[in-house]
Amino acid sequence: MTYSKLSLRNAQRQARDYLVYFVTVVMAAALLYSFNALAFSPEVNTLSKSISTLPMMIVLASIVVVCVFGWLVAYATKFMLLRRGRELGTYLLIGLENKQVARLFFLENLAVGGCALVLGTALGGLLYQALWAILLTLFGRPYSFSFGFSVPALGLTVLYFALIYLFALYRSRKYIRRAKIHDLIYVDQVNEGAVIQTGRNRRWIFSVSIVLGVIGTCLLMAGGAILGVIGAGCVIVFLFGFFLSFASGVPAFFDKRPARKYQGQNLLVFRTLTAKLSTMGILMAVISLVFTATLISEGSGMMFRGLFESRAAESGCFDLYLGSEDGTLLSEDYFDYIRANIPVEQAVRYSVYQTGDSQVLDYVEEKEEDYFRYYERDPVLRYSDYAALRAIAGYSPVELKPGQYLIHCWSYLEEHLAGYPEPLSVGGARLTLGGVHTEHLMQDYNASNGTQFTLVVPDDAAEGLTVHHYAYAAKTVRPVTEEQFYGLYWIHHRLEEQDLTRSYDTIRAKAMEESDAAAWTADIAFPLFYLALALTMTAATILTIQQLSETDRYRRQFQLLQKLGMDRREMAKALGRQFAIYYALPAVPPVLIGVPFIFHLTRSPELGVMVGMNSPGVILLISLGIFFLIYAIYILLAYTSLRRNVLPA
Amino acid sequence: MLQVQNIEKYYGSKNNVTKALDRVCFDVEAGEFLAIMGASGSGKTTLLNCISTIDTISAGSILLDGVSVADLPEHELAKFRRERLGFVFQDFNLLDTLTIEENIGLALSLNHQDPGTVQNRVREVAGKLGITDILPKFPYQVSGGQKQRAACARAMAASQSLLLADEPTGALDSKASKNLLEIMTAMNRDMGSTILMVTHDAYSASYAKRVLFLKDGRVFNELLRGDRGRPVFYHEILDVLAALGGDVSDVL
Repeated sequence: MTYSKLSLRNAQRQARDYLVYFVTVVMAAALLYSFNALAFSPEVNTLSKSISTLPMMIVLASIVVVCVFGWLVAYATKFMLLRRGRELGTYLLIGLENKQVARLFFLENLAVGGCALVLGTALGGLLYQALWAILLTLFGRPYSFSFGFSVPALGLTVLYFALIYLFALYRSRKYIRRAKIHDLIYVDQVNEGAVIQTGRNRRWIFSVSIVLGVIGTCLLMAGGAILGVIGAGCVIVFLFGFFLSFASGVPAFFDKRPARKYQGQNLLVFRTLTAKLSTMGILMAVISLVFTATLISEGSGMMFRGLFESRAAESGCFDLYLGSEDGTLLSEDYFDYIRANIPVEQAVRYSVYQTGDSQVLDYVEEKEEDYFRYYERDPVLRYSDYAALRAIAGYSPVELKPGQYLIHCWSYLEEHLAGYPEPLSVGGARLTLGGVHTEHLMQDYNASNGTQFTLVVPDDAAEGLTVHHYAYAAKTVRPVTEEQFYGLYWIHHRLEEQDLTRSYDTIRAKAMEESDAAAWTADIAFPLFYLALALTMTAATILTIQQLSETDRYRRQFQLLQKLGMDRREMAKALGRQFAIYYALPAVPPVLIGVPFIFHLTRSPELGVMVGMNSPGVILLISLGIFFLIYAIYILLAYTSLRRNVLPA
Repeated sequence: MLQVQNIEKYYGSKNNVTKALDRVCFDVEAGEFLAIMGASGSGKTTLLNCISTIDTISAGSILLDGVSVADLPEHELAKFRRERLGFVFQDFNLLDTLTIEENIGLALSLNHQDPGTVQNRVREVAGKLGITDILPKFPYQVSGGQKQRAACARAMAASQSLLLADEPTGALDSKASKNLLEIMTAMNRDMGSTILMVTHDAYSASYAKRVLFLKDGRVFNELLRGDRGRPVFYHEILDVLAALGGDVSDVL
């Protein structure tokens, strides 16, 4: 029988063992192909001009994912190798040479990997459709199914796979060529020794790793490429140092305290966890690292998506908006162009005034330390203009009673301004606060409707106030097109060229703001979610493999315990405790690192942007929620299946 | 101490019934060392499994210290095994993840013994069985004989009333077998342990005080050692095996 036939038969016979391995590789191939297909898709490149960097971002994210998958496939391959140690050892025993066995294993993996690649690519084609639909939803465009096959994407996927496989098989080949028959045959019975032998070293490494963890988290939060890389390095060293010293320290702890060891189910629980000390330490560190990266990717993705969405909601609250920077009138050229090219349903040309003092600005500054005032004096809108703006933006009308004024502000200022105690003296009138409203109203810049807040006064009270700048807002019949927007932009450009002293006019269109936000989201948030998805799948696969490798040992253990008189309830309790510790441990450092990081990141944009559903707390909760939901589903499935398979009936 | 009264055990479905045990009946006195012999398929392991509550009987009754094993509810069975029965298996049945000391201590831990006294008790028993030096080692680091002595120590440490041994020398060489059997004899003689050993090896059985022979699920013969020396008893056992007819090669 030739080796290839023997390899093929082995692969067929061990289909069940190979299933997890096969699924891992299929999943990796599908994810890599779908993203490559997206990167090379001509539709993506024509989606928006500003998205031209998307393919590069996807390829960059793919490189990170290739490294993660490379490690994952190598891990899965090594797992298969050790699981079949007895069989491979028997081949050596009956006279095959190490290099022949290595070749056998290589061919088997190549056969499985080849099939997985073909299936994965086909599934990747479907996954591509899903991703494409998500991208189109981001851009608010309709999705229609169109079957396509990307040769460059396939080429790149095959290249990535060749690299992943070369790495994995090189490692296994090295292991088999050096392995002794005894090592292979008894590999499943051997317990691993502590990686860090002496207590002093353990304590030292443990302490240093904790310090590095804190430093690493701070550096990650400090931001910047160099500090970020150093921070990430510190976090990696922390995780490995922490888990290796911790794993080595647990047996030492119990050896010194025999009474604690033999108390309740401690002995069973701690020994199960420390049986494969170095593997367990490294595995915990890797899972923890993957979880940290997942959490940070999820949180960052959520933050960027929220940031772009929030900014677009404020800047794009009107279909079309024009604003001058100072008291210069808006050029009639704009209005000629609009009349000729952009059908308008409702519009208002108005002035943004300012009061004679800055009493409200001072109050806001006093309440919000980081508040930046674009105005010297308090901004004011006439009630009639305000009412028109509300109608154009599609908000419900509000009433202004005689002797009162309103405040329209960003939601984060609502609480402060609702409590503004002083009456307002405007244009000789003394007004009291009639209400605070917080819908989006273009209040983010110098040339907008105030500086995160504006006062709304009766029209007669505004008479005689100084004009800060002039503005125009319109509700158009159809969304403003790119061509129309650039038509207006070129007028502005021409005016600037004609008069260099002329102030800068602000031009905003809802359609353009939304498209830009979608492009940025696709550019930055999308690859981060892709990364989070790949990392989650990686972590789940590692845990599945680990659990599978433990099933037989657990079963034998509980069969013996049953004979020794342990009742089923106690067995279930012991299994539950083993499970809880095993799955809780790698999740602790990611939460400790991820929570401050995400919280810090979501607070870094300008004040008042990250509010409501995009506020730091909500983003943190959603990120943790998604993470723990996936984790909990996985744990529940794993626990149920393990309980069914290992506990005696 | 143990009364096995007319027990029967059937396997299989309605149309294909196999009778593994057929009206087996015997008593074991406290402090006795009893061996049960028989060829493969004679029902000796089934009998042991029924006594150890791992398997159920189809008819008859098994009383241990007056308690009917068959009548115990499921949750009581585990407690019963934990407190009253000690086990030594052919394949040692030690947990790979625990050191020898911990494997011995496990039985005490399961019996809810005061955790502070477990280590001392384990060391005391290990000292008696000559395995003190291997206590910190894992099962894969010690020999088969040492593993089996550790299994004996586990059974001894918890001071259970009945030690059930299933082919305890099956995986051992002759020297290790002799060593183990001497330990079991000492446990029986010096500590008053009651031992029920299932074996197909005449040499192992010759260490017992009484030997029951099973054939086709029934008690075929019984031999008492009395005051005779072990070599004489060994030959008598061989004679009975010869009388079993044609099965001698199976049981030797």
